[in-house]
Amino acid sequence: MKIRAFTAILVCKVIRGLAKLMGRGSSLPGKYALKICPDILSELKLPELSIAVTGSNGKTSTVEMIAHILKSNGLKVAYNKEGSNQIEGVVTFLIGDSTMGGKVKSDVVLLEADERYARRVFGYFHPKYFVINNLYRDQMTRNGHPEWIKSIIGDAIYDDMTLILNADDPLVASFGKDREGTIYFGADNLPSDTTTHEGIYNDGKYCPICKKPMEYEYYHYNHIGKFKCTSCGFERHDTDHTLTNMGESDGHAEITVDGKYEIPVFFTGIYHCYNILAAYTASVVAGIAPWKAAESLGGYILKSGRISDFTLGNVEGRLLLSKHENSVSYDRSIDVVVNDKRKKSVMIIVDAISRKYYTSDSSWLWDINFEKFRDADIDKIILAGQYCDDLAVRFDLAGIDSNKVEVFESVQGAADYCKEKLGSFLYVITCFSDKEKILSVVTRREIA
Amino acid sequence: MNVKILYLYPDFMSLYGDNGNVRILERRLKDQGFDVEIIKRTITDSAITFDDVDFVYMGSGFESNRNLVAKHLSQFKDGLVKAIDDGVPMLFTGNAYDVLGSSIMTPERDEIRCLGIFDFTVIDQIEKRFTGDVVLADTKKNDVYVGFVNRAGVLKGEGTLEFYVTKVIGSVPLTKDGVRKNNLLGVSLIGPLLLKNHKIAESFVKTICERKGTEYKEIRYPHSEKSHDKTKKALLNAEV
Ligand SMILES: [Zn+2]
Repeated sequence: MKIRAFTAILVCKVIRGLAKLMGRGSSLPGKYALKICPDILSELKLPELSIAVTGSNGKTSTVEMIAHILKSNGLKVAYNKEGSNQIEGVVTFLIGDSTMGGKVKSDVVLLEADERYARRVFGYFHPKYFVINNLYRDQMTRNGHPEWIKSIIGDAIYDDMTLILNADDPLVASFGKDREGTIYFGADNLPSDTTTHEGIYNDGKYCPICKKPMEYEYYHYNHIGKFKCTSCGFERHDTDHTLTNMGESDGHAEITVDGKYEIPVFFTGIYHCYNILAAYTASVVAGIAPWKAAESLGGYILKSGRISDFTLGNVEGRLLLSKHENSVSYDRSIDVVVNDKRKKSVMIIVDAISRKYYTSDSSWLWDINFEKFRDADIDKIILAGQYCDDLAVRFDLAGIDSNKVEVFESVQGAADYCKEKLGSFLYVITCFSDKEKILSVVTRREIA
Repeated sequence: MNVKILYLYPDFMSLYGDNGNVRILERRLKDQGFDVEIIKRTITDSAITFDDVDFVYMGSGFESNRNLVAKHLSQFKDGLVKAIDDGVPMLFTGNAYDVLGSSIMTPERDEIRCLGIFDFTVIDQIEKRFTGDVVLADTKKNDVYVGFVNRAGVLKGEGTLEFYVTKVIGSVPLTKDGVRKNNLLGVSLIGPLLLKNHKIAESFVKTICERKGTEYKEIRYPHSEKSHDKTKKALLNAEV
């Protein structure tokens, strides 16, 4: 081992120890290690088993579930759980888990990797398995569009990795073209599927390989489904592991995997089920017996904070967290509202699109299928926040009766209105970046 | 009276909620008393005619899609050029107007021939995207436009470009942007820019009324105006 690598490990461990003493966790130790030895990652000796997870949505949930399954089955797992999605972060946590000789002590290294991170980090070491869950329009102001992300992920894929792919997402599945040994997961035809495409735009309309039109036998949601190119023959691949059923009764939800393993789940949102399936598949491929993987998942409740119940004066309500700049996540929340057959109201809050940056870009509002509210039994629609004018124009053109729509610059103003005037159950749809603005003025009860 | 909007590649060039522009214009034309017919033509169509259309729109797409559009639309260049010369109002947003330039250089160094209506070229790369909020100055109309740019490349040929990029929040290495010829407008702003730039929407509606020989009715759209004012203020005040 090079002396520089040894020094880097030493310094990283010392700073990390000091930071821990002061109760601080950060990627600072890794930053110093990289300064001392820029290729420190290729100096570390990783365990035989390493798994990286990427995708537009659900990376963190999927990684946490894989970690849970592996740990419940007696493996020692190192993973970047602080969401330290930077090269400094991965250096920090790997050195933290390594001997002074640079040997990582855990049985498994698990990485949550966004595409830029993957391109950079995988230049130094190749994870054995690379899970790609989904690719869709997500924070395009920062990330770029799905095809752009696909090309960056493509740069991070090496011949010695085994890909674990979502067979139902054509853009993701196209990574498996001409790659022997690729593992696929996906869903069978489910009761909630549709035969026609729902949504404002269809990123599955044209083949990602030859750009000719594709046909779908059914859609699970958005462009996720059973597709086939009319020209080049690219089609949904048979799956190695499959979501065979998804059901909900009396508030108890359950999914079935591979036709025989029933897993109770807290909520059945279809894309959450894909995360579960991805975690199950990765664990089984990594050597966990299928029944054991399923059993571990059954006892696991994901603390997502995605749903909170609250009261606002006499009004009862539920907050559904979506992600701004991610129309798919909004569409899923809209489904929850529309599937509730009561008369209900909906508040949409877009106040700060991101906590990190200001942007005027509200174009993503036009990718969301707000038109679904038109035919639902909606009492009032309350539009709130700094972007309320953009929302107001969007809702006007969604063909929603303007008498139902109230527009407020401030969340407080919208809340006051609901408290005084509303006589129906209230759904609030917003993003992590805006949720406290409403949660701070209601009486809340966290349920998931 | 009937107004025909030709919506080009609605399912192939629709990356940033571009449908909003057509819907905003449709709404405003209906408010003027027109019946609005939307004709959609896309990459699988073997003919695109510009005869009798009153407005043409095209939005942004994946770079690969835009490159295929450059080839596909070239087949119908004569009709398009005639319509531009006749003064048909048109709006090309985001990277849609790239196809009106002379060529696109892909990151793989393939040169894609474009329609050559304007004398600029596009040079794409794959290292990082150029994204950011921008303020554009239209010195001829003495107006200011606001919005967001999300591009894979830069434009060369500043001489033909129409607007000055007076402020950038983010990383957009452009000093000028946009093209104009008769009533055609091309601009890098993505998504429903007619929402945040109500004067552009108004100007298109006025032109359509004039060309149709009907009187333009003054109608205010307060949410659109407020959105423009708020955005402009936020962008001008933002520190870079
Ligand atoms: Zn194909």
